[in-house]
Amino acid sequence: MPEDVIFTPLKFRHLEVKNRIFRSSISGRWDNYNGSGTQTRINWEERFARGGCGAIISSFVPVHLKGRILPNYAMIDDDDKIPFWRAVGEAVHRHDCKFIMQLSHGGRQRDVPGVENFLEKGLSSTDSSDTFHGLLCRAMTKAEIDQTVEHFAQGARRAREAGLDGIELHASHGYLFTQFLSSAINDRKDEYGGPLENRFRFLQEVIRAIRREVGKDFHLQVKMNALDENNALFFWEKKGNSLEEYIQICKWCEEEGADALHISMGSTFPHPMVPPGGFPPDELNWWYGGMASSGARGYFNYAFFHFKLIRPIFLWLWNRRKKAYPVEGVSAEACREIKKHVSIPVLNTGGFQDGALIRRYISEGWMDGVAIARPLIANPDLPHILASGRDLPERPCTFCNRCLVNAIANPLGCYDVRRYDGDHDAMIREVMTVFDPPPFPAEKAPRIVAAGGAA
Amino acid sequence: MSRESRTRTKAGVLVDAIRESPVDRQVKKYRRALLLGLLTVIVLILAVFIARFSKDRPMTFADDREHYLYGSIGSEPGGSISNAVGGVLPPYWIFVTLPEICPEKLPGGYASLGFIYENGRDLPVGISRRFRLGFDQVGLNCASCHTGTVRETAASERMVYPGMPSHQLDLQNFFRFVLDCTLDERFTPERVLAEIERAGGSTDAFERFVYRNQLVPRTRESTLMLSRRLSPLMANPRVPEWGPGRVDTFNPYKAIQFNWNLAALPPSELIGASDFPSLWWQGPREGLQRHWDGNNTSLQERNLSASLGAGVTPVTIDHPNLERVAQWIRDLPPPEYPFPVDQAKAARGAALYAAQCTECHGDGRFRQGTVEQAKASLKGTRVGTVEPIARVATDRHRLDSYTYDFAVNQYTLYPDSEYRFHNFRKTGGYSNQPLDGIWARAPYLHNGSVPTLRDLLEPPERRPRTFYRGYDVYDQRKGGFVTTVGAEKGRRFFLYDTSLPGNGNGGHLWGTQLTDEEKDALVEYMKTL
Repeated sequence: MPEDVIFTPLKFRHLEVKNRIFRSSISGRWDNYNGSGTQTRINWEERFARGGCGAIISSFVPVHLKGRILPNYAMIDDDDKIPFWRAVGEAVHRHDCKFIMQLSHGGRQRDVPGVENFLEKGLSSTDSSDTFHGLLCRAMTKAEIDQTVEHFAQGARRAREAGLDGIELHASHGYLFTQFLSSAINDRKDEYGGPLENRFRFLQEVIRAIRREVGKDFHLQVKMNALDENNALFFWEKKGNSLEEYIQICKWCEEEGADALHISMGSTFPHPMVPPGGFPPDELNWWYGGMASSGARGYFNYAFFHFKLIRPIFLWLWNRRKKAYPVEGVSAEACREIKKHVSIPVLNTGGFQDGALIRRYISEGWMDGVAIARPLIANPDLPHILASGRDLPERPCTFCNRCLVNAIANPLGCYDVRRYDGDHDAMIREVMTVFDPPPFPAEKAPRIVAAGGAA
Repeated sequence: MSRESRTRTKAGVLVDAIRESPVDRQVKKYRRALLLGLLTVIVLILAVFIARFSKDRPMTFADDREHYLYGSIGSEPGGSISNAVGGVLPPYWIFVTLPEICPEKLPGGYASLGFIYENGRDLPVGISRRFRLGFDQVGLNCASCHTGTVRETAASERMVYPGMPSHQLDLQNFFRFVLDCTLDERFTPERVLAEIERAGGSTDAFERFVYRNQLVPRTRESTLMLSRRLSPLMANPRVPEWGPGRVDTFNPYKAIQFNWNLAALPPSELIGASDFPSLWWQGPREGLQRHWDGNNTSLQERNLSASLGAGVTPVTIDHPNLERVAQWIRDLPPPEYPFPVDQAKAARGAALYAAQCTECHGDGRFRQGTVEQAKASLKGTRVGTVEPIARVATDRHRLDSYTYDFAVNQYTLYPDSEYRFHNFRKTGGYSNQPLDGIWARAPYLHNGSVPTLRDLLEPPERRPRTFYRGYDVYDQRKGGFVTTVGAEKGRRFFLYDTSLPGNGNGGHLWGTQLTDEEKDALVEYMKTL
């Protein structure tokens, strides 16, 4: 039997990963409100390391409070966070798994701004609010841009000091970098707006600042859109960047010293194509309320999720462009195009689960590895399953996106009750396993023996 | 602690100090914009709606003759959509498609009733078009009953004479058709809309909605009301048919304008059909006793009153347009006799006319010169005065159909306005009329009971007892229309029976004592009047 390409090591310039399966960035609201970490996050990350992933890309880690998407996410905004992240790294490393921290700034995409942020508009490249939730923002000043560049540099330094294996800049899915890169969003008239090289400038400055701060030998990858499809939801919006523009950006990233690319798509998050799959209106009705007051269109959207009569209008808008893309490997074709133009390794994310598909794409040179999130939530041991020769787990991820919607309000986990044979209690038990071990484990639980029980 | 930040209380209930997040402010802005947008939309819709439904625009014609033939005098339904008044015809598109909806009731279309279609027009002479109550409406104007046609032979071209009595028009059967077809079970919104489309009309969704829910049901409703009110006239075996060229002027007026219950009137009062008179050269007629029975001396009141018969109401009347017609017919010359006249014979007739006729009817000078000269030519005659019924001895039904009670009702029209009637009088006979263009005013006497001038010069027992009306080929020898043709190209003409009540051809014995040769000469002279 020839060697399984999925399980051949992937060598970056300064990092080697044992296989081609990366846990893509995903997280629940595990941590303390102020951004300090908890045991639960360690549990969370460790379960994927134990499951056999080659590397874990952390969830969205804000480099500053203003760039936080949701409260209760561990941040990297201060040196006082270094010990926590060191503990996370060590837990992951125990399973021969690498840990790459995703340095992020949400810009205007603050799904729940939190008590610290809600009285001020988000920082962005533009004054125009986000098109989905109506999240408000204002264009950053030059001084604020410089400050934010520095936040990223310091975040990178802290990641290195924590002993982590590398960093990823989240320049896709509509977060701050996309807000600068995308022609559909960036309406600046200064040197950060207009032509592509201007729109790239912010990311360029961040990469340069990081290199200045941590040197050239610390793994740095960029998560990049292949396409914006900014008008996938509302056809009256601008389309955003084309694949050609993103190929150019990727080439520039390589020139600036990026060690790898991580390709995805979509100028917002969520986006009709990202994550690919369903968009369950029942869950939206239950949980979207948690962010209904975050944006100026929140209650408007919520009405569409809440009232069944008008749901089809939203679902029609949401689904109309989806048909052009597969659920599994939603951006794979675009990734292949990008890979043709760069010489650094390229990862791809979006609907990967099927071992045969992953194997084919890697062996045919579409990509060098895949980043997976939802199928790993469903089956954290997916790498072991694939390694055992099976292409799919017994109960595979259905790409229903119930995990995504629940994440606003509930502990992250697989909420597709069909995967638990309709047993809601079993589903909740499974979801709650993330809290085990607890932060303060009992020394030794006293054994309770039933007295006088019948033999 | 500052005053502002202290928790405020309202009616004893704690009220949080109000703060707003940027999202709150934006949402407020959105809501304000939404409200404003909604209000704007509502106002715009209302404005469009009001603009459409309050628009009142007649088709206009630069040419006075065209205005007379096709212009609106306001006889289309009007008022407001919530209280539409006036009008006796359905809206334009229903009107033009009715013959398609009930084809067997009117083979040959409106032309077969004697309506005149000029070079490819969509509407015949006498039907006006006006945008009112949000739709194109049609109405009758003066020309419907006062535009006649003449042919030299069956093969020759029709000559159209504005102002001439519409001797060829079967008004009663026209009304019957409209009333009948709009109550027909085929008269459904679906059918009407389909026929409109077939006829090349386009309707948008809103218009279709209105056709379904308003126009078609309202047409049927007004038909029901009209036909019920008019049934004692239109469907009463004791009331003879009007036949072409005739109308009962005052009885429908009693029913439609004054809501009289016709069935309660003495049966003989319901027999009032009389010929359409001519409408030319009205200027010199001011002050003459107008209408067959001479019940009014005011041209203006005569015009207003006649327009009521066409469906105008004091609310819907278009005074400026009516006045334009009035001005035009004031100076409209009577038509020249279009065929050769034997001048020598006419000259002999002139002398006879002077002896026999001028005293009551004026003479050839009436049609010449200015209005003043024409009026002056009547000096010393009895033209425009009422000849007592005992003397003229013609059929009295028409005289009796105009009653004191009716005159009293007429005075209630146009209250508190310059138009209020005050010249109507009940008379005791028939009025002597000037005979300008008399050749084109056949058949003769007020009820059209004598087909030709020559026949009128015969004693009643030698006048035709029955004859066909409606045919427009001219009988040059006798001075009138050919009376022997019963049908032509599918159109059936009306057999007029002088023995029926109201149709009597007796009386007016002047000239009957002349010799045949004298009578012929007199007829020849009258062609020149």
